[in-house]
Amino acid sequence: MLSYTLKRLLTLLPTLIAASILVFLFVHLIPGDPAAVLLGDTATPQEIAALTREMGLDKPLWQQYTLWLSEVAKGNLGQSIFFKAPVTSIIADGAQTSILLATMTIFWIIIFGIPIGVLSATRQGSWVDQLTSGLAMFFASVPTFWLGLYLILIFAVGLGWFPSSGFPSIFDEGGISNLRYLLLPSLTLAAPNAALIIRLVRASMLDISREDHVRTARAKGLHPTKVAIKHVFRNALITVVAAFGFTFAALVSEAVVTETVFSLPGIGRLVVQSILRRDYPVIQGVILVIVVLYLFINLLVDLAYAMLDPRVSLK
Amino acid sequence: MKRNNWWKSILGVVLYGLLVGSGWTAGTLRYATVGEPPSLDQHVVTSDLATTIAHHMFEGLYTFNAANSPVNLLAAGDSLSEDGKIITISLRDDVKFHNGQAMTSVDVVASMKRWGEFGSRGGLLFSNVDSVEASGEYEIKITLSQSFGPWKNLLAFINGGPAIYPASVMEGATKEPIEPKNYIGTGPYKFSEWQPNRHVELVRFDDYTSPSGAADGYGGERKANFDSLRFMPVPDAGTRVAGIKAGDYDYAESIPGDLYAELDADSGVNTILNGGPIFGLVFMNSKDGPLKENFELRRAIQTAIDKTPALQVAIGPEGLWRANGSFLPEGNVWYSESGAENFSKGDAEAAKSMAEAAGYTGDPIKFMVSTNYPFHYDTAIVYTKQLANAGFNIDLQVYDWATLIEKRAQPDQWDLFFTHHGFVPDPILISVMNDNYPGWWVTEEKAALKSRFTATSDPAERQAIWSEIQALIYKQVPTMKTGDVYTYNIASPSLQGLGEATLIWPHFWNVSK
Repeated sequence: MLSYTLKRLLTLLPTLIAASILVFLFVHLIPGDPAAVLLGDTATPQEIAALTREMGLDKPLWQQYTLWLSEVAKGNLGQSIFFKAPVTSIIADGAQTSILLATMTIFWIIIFGIPIGVLSATRQGSWVDQLTSGLAMFFASVPTFWLGLYLILIFAVGLGWFPSSGFPSIFDEGGISNLRYLLLPSLTLAAPNAALIIRLVRASMLDISREDHVRTARAKGLHPTKVAIKHVFRNALITVVAAFGFTFAALVSEAVVTETVFSLPGIGRLVVQSILRRDYPVIQGVILVIVVLYLFINLLVDLAYAMLDPRVSLK
Repeated sequence: MKRNNWWKSILGVVLYGLLVGSGWTAGTLRYATVGEPPSLDQHVVTSDLATTIAHHMFEGLYTFNAANSPVNLLAAGDSLSEDGKIITISLRDDVKFHNGQAMTSVDVVASMKRWGEFGSRGGLLFSNVDSVEASGEYEIKITLSQSFGPWKNLLAFINGGPAIYPASVMEGATKEPIEPKNYIGTGPYKFSEWQPNRHVELVRFDDYTSPSGAADGYGGERKANFDSLRFMPVPDAGTRVAGIKAGDYDYAESIPGDLYAELDADSGVNTILNGGPIFGLVFMNSKDGPLKENFELRRAIQTAIDKTPALQVAIGPEGLWRANGSFLPEGNVWYSESGAENFSKGDAEAAKSMAEAAGYTGDPIKFMVSTNYPFHYDTAIVYTKQLANAGFNIDLQVYDWATLIEKRAQPDQWDLFFTHHGFVPDPILISVMNDNYPGWWVTEEKAALKSRFTATSDPAERQAIWSEIQALIYKQVPTMKTGDVYTYNIASPSLQGLGEATLIWPHFWNVSK
């Protein structure tokens, strides 16, 4: 397993370089100029051109790319054009929010998604199954901005139980209690994802329950709960683990709508705002980090497969 | 500690924290903004959001009172030579920068020079300035090449204006905005931190010395009642409203017009109209394409449009907009109806014949608009329909704002583009007066009037010349005003001292909760 892991880590390098070239090209080829955004509507083309020159953005693309890559190799993702702060620290701050949000969301998905999925599969066709399937379909279909705004209206404005928006860092005043800012957004994000996990667990378990080894287990007189958990659920888990891996990566990088509705300073909103501002170093940095995250999670999922299913070989 | 007790302890701490909560200190004003400013450097950045934050930190020599007249801020007094060419400004001797250093003429001269060379609006004044020098520890002398009437208004307008920084900060400063570590001003609040995506925080400057006199607009006494001001980006308008209602914010800006009636009737929220309206502008290309020098065709486009339906669609409630043809609003000293009879004719038939007479044969007219500002896009959709009814072939090109800004700098890329303008206290600051602004309106008639307009300091004469300029705008149509838009903000009822309306940017000195 160790040699497999090392080999996989090595193959990440060319993927990363290819991704960095693509990201750099796409970011610089879209029209729009950070100098123009920075100077505002009253700036004249001459003033914009002067600032573009001053920031070194008039150099040939290949020169800008090699300069950037050589800095990235030293662990320096550059300096934000707008915040005049290191990109690494801006991303680290965004990542704190996104990772905490994704972790809380996964927590809710596990708490609600798996037990309800198992219940639904073991009670196939019953009113419990129909009710949970209906609710799952409802939450999978509801737009997150709608759900988010209603949760704010009910739990923040109406009942006053939770803050409506924002997220002060857990290292700031308030410390760990600031996590309460993430309760409503994580529930909002969890709703459609838990619904999908419910459907996935149910479908996988029903598939597996029709297989020969399950029939044999039942024929041997094993207790139905034991059959469901040990023989059906454990095998269904392989599909679910893969889904969790990619859900986590997506939650970290793509929670733009939820981050916007709840004003969370996460990675998703950071990248969208940076694109609108044409803050090239931040866009490049964030996308690079997201690529690394996806590659890393892909690797973890593959390793998890091997651990869960002895038939899977890593050679 | 036993293993099973370990996780229970952590869970206990988390639950305790969640239940108790952190709370905010009563001395913090929490302001929900629509986004983040590009920078807070007032010399080069003209974003209104940047000024909303930065004018608590940075001050200029003058500011505006409630009647939009310039009054002393860091200046103690001034005199103008008889020929109008030498301005002598005496400075207050009790002003300290946030770094503890006393402000002297050296800092003022350094700031004026940087603003004059690199500032967004500095060129307007400095194209007429021969020299700026210190004539004493607390006195500066500005020598002009010719008399320039609007000098005091330009020095008082802090947005893209001459904020006073320490000379050490100005050393080597260019067009690129200065870094946050150099945000050192003289205002009642000083810079504390900028956490990207989270907040910009200012804290009270304890050594602040306020200008004398009763508070009047931005002038007079400034008292910092809050310990800190925290400006937090909350991009979703619904969340900003919910945040005020839930007590998470004290003040929220840019609320959609559709919600005005409901919020105005809500006792849990105070609505505050902005006294200075913003106005949309559709610029026409004077450098390239079918509209270049074809004033008749431009007038045909102007004649085709009825501004009221677009304002109804884009803004909503009638109290929030006015189909006003004057570039400055009613009640303002610059208000003029000159040429405004052509503001909103909405006569498709007349427009069709005018276009034919102007030689228009149905070639596409490229109209650029951005969706970043919904009212731009909504208005452009209505205009496109009205122009089509008058026989114009409009090619509506929709971009994000950054792309539009880049494209409008290229004369061959567009014929019309939509933007908007903030309220300004002197018409010289309106972008169409700048020959280099995209649209590039440069005609002999404009040059002659502009020269007369800036040469005199006499208010009545300047107002009369401005009326002539406005009439020329309606005749040559370098841009079309789309109407006044009164944006509004909302605040928690607990905030005291906000006043009935915001002058241009909200301010929080003399405000408490």
